[in-house]
Amino acid sequence: MLEIRAARKVFYRGQPDEKIALNGLDLTLNTGEFGVVIGSNGAGKSSMLNAISGSLALDSGQILINGDDMTGLPVHKRAKRIARVFQDPMLGTAASMTVAENMLLAELRNSRRTLRHGLNAKRLADYRERLAILGLGLEDRLNTRVDLLSGGQRQSLSLIMAVGGSPDLLLLDEHTAALDPRTADIVMDATVRAVETLKLTTLMVTHNMQHAVDYGHRVIMLNAGRVHLEIGGEEKTNVTVPDLIGHFATKTDSMLLAS
Amino acid sequence: MIDFLQTTLGSFVALIPVTLAQSLILGFVVAGIMIPFRMLSFPDLTSEGAFPLGGCVCGVALASGLGPLTAIGLALLTGFIAGCCTAFIHLRFRIHTLLAGILVMTMLYSVNLRIMGRSNLSVFGTETIFDWVPFVQPGFPLAKIIAVGVITLAIFLALNFFFTTEKGTAVRAVGANPVMAEAQGINVWAATIGGIGLAGAFSAFSGALMVQSQGFADVNMGLGILINGLAALMIGEAIVGKATVWRQLLAPFAGAMVYYQLVSLCLAAGMPPPDLKLATGAFVLLMLALPTLRAARGRQAATPRESFRE
Repeated sequence: MLEIRAARKVFYRGQPDEKIALNGLDLTLNTGEFGVVIGSNGAGKSSMLNAISGSLALDSGQILINGDDMTGLPVHKRAKRIARVFQDPMLGTAASMTVAENMLLAELRNSRRTLRHGLNAKRLADYRERLAILGLGLEDRLNTRVDLLSGGQRQSLSLIMAVGGSPDLLLLDEHTAALDPRTADIVMDATVRAVETLKLTTLMVTHNMQHAVDYGHRVIMLNAGRVHLEIGGEEKTNVTVPDLIGHFATKTDSMLLAS
Repeated sequence: MIDFLQTTLGSFVALIPVTLAQSLILGFVVAGIMIPFRMLSFPDLTSEGAFPLGGCVCGVALASGLGPLTAIGLALLTGFIAGCCTAFIHLRFRIHTLLAGILVMTMLYSVNLRIMGRSNLSVFGTETIFDWVPFVQPGFPLAKIIAVGVITLAIFLALNFFFTTEKGTAVRAVGANPVMAEAQGINVWAATIGGIGLAGAFSAFSGALMVQSQGFADVNMGLGILINGLAALMIGEAIVGKATVWRQLLAPFAGAMVYYQLVSLCLAAGMPPPDLKLATGAFVLLMLALPTLRAARGRQAATPRESFRE
């Protein structure tokens, strides 16, 4: 379970270009729940993800995972509980290392790294099996350097790396946005299968309204650094793309009226 | 012409054992340059200061009556600390790695002078590790070649093992992609400080061995060692490659052996020693410029990524 309590973050405080990124954001995501986050640019989606992963320190507020306070912990300590797939395929993998070595790094995310030989036969067999699920042939390229893979293959690898070891929380940061439509579908299918099979608590940020409609248990719309709208349960199953876009429109109109 | 070739070849061959001993010793400083550049993507100049630091510490320790192993131990420790300082300056104050290295290297010059109390110190006649090689007359190149050769082999194997362990793979990940490494639960600070510290220890180790080999310590003994080391590293990478971990680790040691023989050949052929740094610099420049020149002529689609270049 993920809880964000009254998270507040202001950039450039006291300067003319002061920007409130998170304005008392409250959000709870239950164990096993798949939340889809939407919102216009500058609504606070990235700040929220960075605050959860630990790369952005909050001014005030709390981040809790399964009841444990994560607020003061650095990124590498939170990584024991949180896995993340970045938007940029280059960011999520180590380019100059092999597929197998990347898998090893991910496997060791939540355990102590020892002075024993890393890539033993048992692990290689396990990686081959896990990569075969994708159907991209990555299982036969364990010793290929990751920078020789396509963007879609790298992102698929990132996904397999992230869901391995069943993290307490999976963060997906527009992870299909940089891919062509066909590859995006492959990665998205693999994502949904993994999340459903492993019942992962997942928070996915997306700009793709169709994805927001099709996937997840709840749509969370952010605006101006707080939750603007939540659509869950029955309402979520009936929601359409125009409905969601409509909420963007009213928001813009109300902002115009208010000013 | 034949005469010239004969004298050149004659003096070159006569120098091979001495040069080999020297190049084996300097292989460690080349390794101390390679680890930051290649394993951690942390272009670092600390070795230029850590090499004489190791030499000065070893010299003072020997002169004060400590054993050769203790002297080397102290050199390793100070070199490690010097490397840690560079890494910390970069991480904590976000100062560019090269500038952090220059700062430490410059400050180390004063430190080295303070440690020795003067600019050079003779330790001739004190016991060295080369005296312990059995069946060989001490003081001759063969004793040094055997002693340093064994140490080099042991350290190469140890490094090779370490960088394929779980911990070693994590350290390499920090060099390959720090954002990803952090997201995989790796403590980037610890890995960087430890790795650069290890490199500093290697450079200091090389300096300490050099002092035991030549019988004196000098604050200026590190002058230009970095460019020499880079030249050696590039030759090594050109010969053994850098595609796999063990090739990358072999490159500094192999490169040092070939590079110093080449230098010896140039000197034997009558090249004035003062021109040596110019020639080395020009060589490094050429090696770096080649891929760019080839790309400009359209023989290559894109310039390969290279941590020595912008």
